[in-house]
Amino acid sequence: MASTTDTQVGAAPLQAAEEQLTLAGGRRGASYSRLLWGAAGIVLFLLGWEALAYLRDDPVILPTVQETARTYVDYLARRYPAAVGDTLWQHALVSVARIAAGWGVGVLLGIAVGGLMSSVPLLRHLIDPLIEITRPLPPLAFIPLFIVWFGIGETSKFLLILVGVVPIMIIATVAALDAVPRELEQAGRSLGGSPLRVLLTVRLRSALPSIITGMRLAMGGAWTSIVAVELIAATSGLGYLINNAGVNLQTPLVLSGIVTISILGIVFDTLLRLLQRAVDPTHR
Amino acid sequence: MSRAAIQVEPTAQAPGAVAIRGVRKGFAGRSRKSAGRLALDGFDLDVRAGEFLCLLGPSGCGKSTLLNMLAGFSAADAGEISVDGEQVRGPGPERGVLFQTPMLFPWLTTLDNVLYGPKARGAERGAARAEAQELLRVVGLESSSESYPHELSGGMRHRAAFARVLVNRPRLLLMDEPFGALDAITRVAMQRFLLQLWERDRMTVVFVTHDVEEAVLLGDRICVMSGTPGRTRAVFDVDLPRPRELELTDTVEFAHLKRQVREALEGSH
Ligand SMILES: Nc1ncnc2c1ncn2[C@@H]1O[C@H](COP(=O)(O)OP(=O)(O)OP(=O)(O)O)[C@@H](O)[C@H]1O
Ligand SMILES: [Mg+2]
Repeated sequence: MASTTDTQVGAAPLQAAEEQLTLAGGRRGASYSRLLWGAAGIVLFLLGWEALAYLRDDPVILPTVQETARTYVDYLARRYPAAVGDTLWQHALVSVARIAAGWGVGVLLGIAVGGLMSSVPLLRHLIDPLIEITRPLPPLAFIPLFIVWFGIGETSKFLLILVGVVPIMIIATVAALDAVPRELEQAGRSLGGSPLRVLLTVRLRSALPSIITGMRLAMGGAWTSIVAVELIAATSGLGYLINNAGVNLQTPLVLSGIVTISILGIVFDTLLRLLQRAVDPTHR
Repeated sequence: MSRAAIQVEPTAQAPGAVAIRGVRKGFAGRSRKSAGRLALDGFDLDVRAGEFLCLLGPSGCGKSTLLNMLAGFSAADAGEISVDGEQVRGPGPERGVLFQTPMLFPWLTTLDNVLYGPKARGAERGAARAEAQELLRVVGLESSSESYPHELSGGMRHRAAFARVLVNRPRLLLMDEPFGALDAITRVAMQRFLLQLWERDRMTVVFVTHDVEEAVLLGDRICVMSGTPGRTRAVFDVDLPRPRELELTDTVEFAHLKRQVREALEGSH
């Protein structure tokens, strides 16, 4: 990152400034029209859904958009299953809490292991093949195993999220740290920074934007894992709600659950993107 | 950046004298079969305190290897390297390094880049800040102190890197083709800028370059190296008057010396 910005020397300052301006202006215009097109796409999709729903005229197979919206709003306050269950938002909170725990711990674990692998070659040779072996496995393949080992409690769910998060984070962290130019660290050392200080304030700091990209990818992995495990073994959470409502042919509620996951996914990704922007001045 | 801009208290400590004795450095081959190669062998060099020494030599003769050892980034296999009688054991702020690219920290503003050294050394905050701002004024970047490196031009980045190193008051300045990646105009500006800084501070400088003209313009002495393993082939004293201006390059003495140096360099392959 540093080397790319730093090797672009030589351009006359005026020309560089001009380029930046037009780029920024162009980007603003582009993002404006992109937003419009994006909104148009969503509207078209909803129209198509609505048309299909009217043609089919069967609310179990495909409820209308209004029907789904009504159900959504309704279950924000209504319990599911009736009386003993949670509201839609409570289910969502349960899933979010599981994600927060699994993803949070997984991210820290991945960064720690990745950091060690990047600085200790022996560890790298030791762990690399393990990751290569486990990476192609979908986390879902572990569900039966974890249930046998740990039951259907929170432990299985937590571990399953880890399986979805840790390898992604390790790979992202190692790649990010490897990409830090050695001269950047040497600069830090020769300016008087101790090895530990340079490790934290130069090496890790320089890798941070790429590590956050890894965190965003891992967030997707975490949602895949948690919804899957809730589909099979849970009495609460969005995955449970979707599955149960499906079994009871409450299609509008299934769709409400899906929409909720999508909204939460967008919210978390946006937060991480903002964080990324905050730590990387070149992407502002 | 006018001449007048550089008339402030010198920031350097007493300049350091460098002694390099019988230094050998080899690199292991890629596989066990391919023999390692010696980058430097039996290399001797003295740099006097306050001297501007230019290292000139064909590509691959070990200039960067030598500079890395002076900076403390790598250790010699044999021989001794000392600055002011003290053996070099690792990197340190008293030996400032300027790389071919400025290597600024892209996540820090120009001012915070300059403050990295003082903060790492635990210097008093207010004083360090004042000094950093003063140095940014000296290098003509006072109005860019809150800009990030990617918002600066190539020459500005180099000047920021200078300020970041000078704030540590180095006794020795190590430069590895610092202007090699710059366009011709910026390069001349940076050479002039470096000369003014050096007139002001008079620290010891070891300056690696490919460019004969640059070496003659800047240096007190020029050490021409020969290739693999690197050795000193010839040393030239540059008896040209200081302060040096660019007009000097048009004089007969300059052309004469340049030619001698080039011949030594060409014979060194
Ligand atoms: N990390 C390394 N591993 C293996 N060999 C190396 C390494 N660094 C340098 N060498 C070898 O040591 C010799 C000297 O390299 P060095 O980089 O010091 O040359 P240089 O004089 O700086 O060349 P240039 O002018 O092209 O920068 C070369 O033959 C090079 O192949
Ligand atoms: Mg080199």
